[in-house]
Amino acid sequence: MTTMDTGERRRSSDVRPVITDLIDGATVLSIAEEAWIALVGEDEILVPIPGEPPVDIVSSWVDIVGPWTGSVVLTTGRGTAEELSRALLREAAPEVLEHEDVEDAFGEIANVVGGNVKAALPGPSGLSLPQVGNAPVVRNPVDVCRVDVVWRGEPVSISVQGALPPLPVPSPTRENEVPL
Amino acid sequence: MRALVIDDSRAMRRIVSGILIGLGYEVRDAGHGREGLDVLDEGWKPHLLCVDWNMPVMDGLQFVSAVRSNPAWRSVTIMMVTSESEHTQIVRALAAGAHEYVIKPFTADAIRDKLALLGLLPEEVPAGVPVPLRSSEQEVAL
Amino acid sequence: MKILIADDSRVMRQIVIRTLRQAGYDDHDIVEAEDGADALAKVGSEKPDLVLSDWNMPNMTGIECLEALRSSGSSVPFGFVTSEGSPEMREKAANAGALFLIAKPFTDDTFREHLDGVIA
Repeated sequence: MTTMDTGERRRSSDVRPVITDLIDGATVLSIAEEAWIALVGEDEILVPIPGEPPVDIVSSWVDIVGPWTGSVVLTTGRGTAEELSRALLREAAPEVLEHEDVEDAFGEIANVVGGNVKAALPGPSGLSLPQVGNAPVVRNPVDVCRVDVVWRGEPVSISVQGALPPLPVPSPTRENEVPL
Repeated sequence: MRALVIDDSRAMRRIVSGILIGLGYEVRDAGHGREGLDVLDEGWKPHLLCVDWNMPVMDGLQFVSAVRSNPAWRSVTIMMVTSESEHTQIVRALAAGAHEYVIKPFTADAIRDKLALLGLLPEEVPAGVPVPLRSSEQEVAL
Repeated sequence: MKILIADDSRVMRQIVIRTLRQAGYDDHDIVEAEDGADALAKVGSEKPDLVLSDWNMPNMTGIECLEALRSSGSSVPFGFVTSEGSPEMREKAANAGALFLIAKPFTDDTFREHLDGVIA
């Protein structure tokens, strides 16, 4: 098999896209709004303004692996995550929420938001199962699309963040130092 | 340039090493993370580590964490070699300090493209010139 | 009718059950499965008339479950309810023999649109 190594192919693979080239905050916000209306409730409004971040926070996220690789992360206060879980469970919500219920419900919101973000990105990509806990670190500050909203007076952030570190800046000395 | 290939599969080590040698690398290999650390401890300084994820004794994540916690190995670039089903692991490996990843099965070109992005091609292979490796366009099925 | 709902999220199973009711499909027997392998087993033991399945699940994914069902000769009507509604997923689902794919988030209107004629 002889495939010509055309300049076209090299150009397309020489560029690693960052998330802001692929999706904007308005799209992420509208995906989140739709998820909130369908899952949390019809009258549930997300106000796109930053709120005072709480001290005790929890994140839920899914990973996307493909032409763009990273995570879609929801972060909010622990109390707000519980309130969200109650809203999802509605009449099925138990009197005392177990940690498992919050993991399940808060994780499922990340799954729905993440699945729709994935569909808006170039594919093919894979999607992980949702995880709940401490969010993955931001590797490349340029590769982040973050939307801050307020739900029922409480701040929630939705961060679509890349997992790859920045590329090294080419230098004539051929030093191969890659930033951490 | 020097590369250390760490994989518990001998076939996989050969494939990855073959591609890197074809690109002009000097290559050594190891069968798991602990062996990989031993090679680094000898003082042999690779520019690139190609690391499998699932390995006995010391897996890819433990290895990446160990390398990242040692300031002496700060400048080395780490590329994970992983399989398609391991989405969570890929992001976890990157979070632990890996710089890139390739998914099995991959082509020689896929590896060359990633190394070009990272500035780790021993000599610039100009566009239009095939990689000096017969199987460069064949998919490595594993 | 007996409807099998497969999703690893208990919350999502409840939301699907609630949406079925809101869409006007009450009075049906509901069986729940918590992953693809569980769904495969329960299609055998519970003999449902319809399967509504998530895509991404541990143990066995929804598409693997559908493929296993079809290759074992089962022709049980099967639809996806998944957060992944991209064209490639839809194509994959249709090729494997799924009747429809409902993308999350959904409303009772979405359910009626896809289930009208499927649920008696």
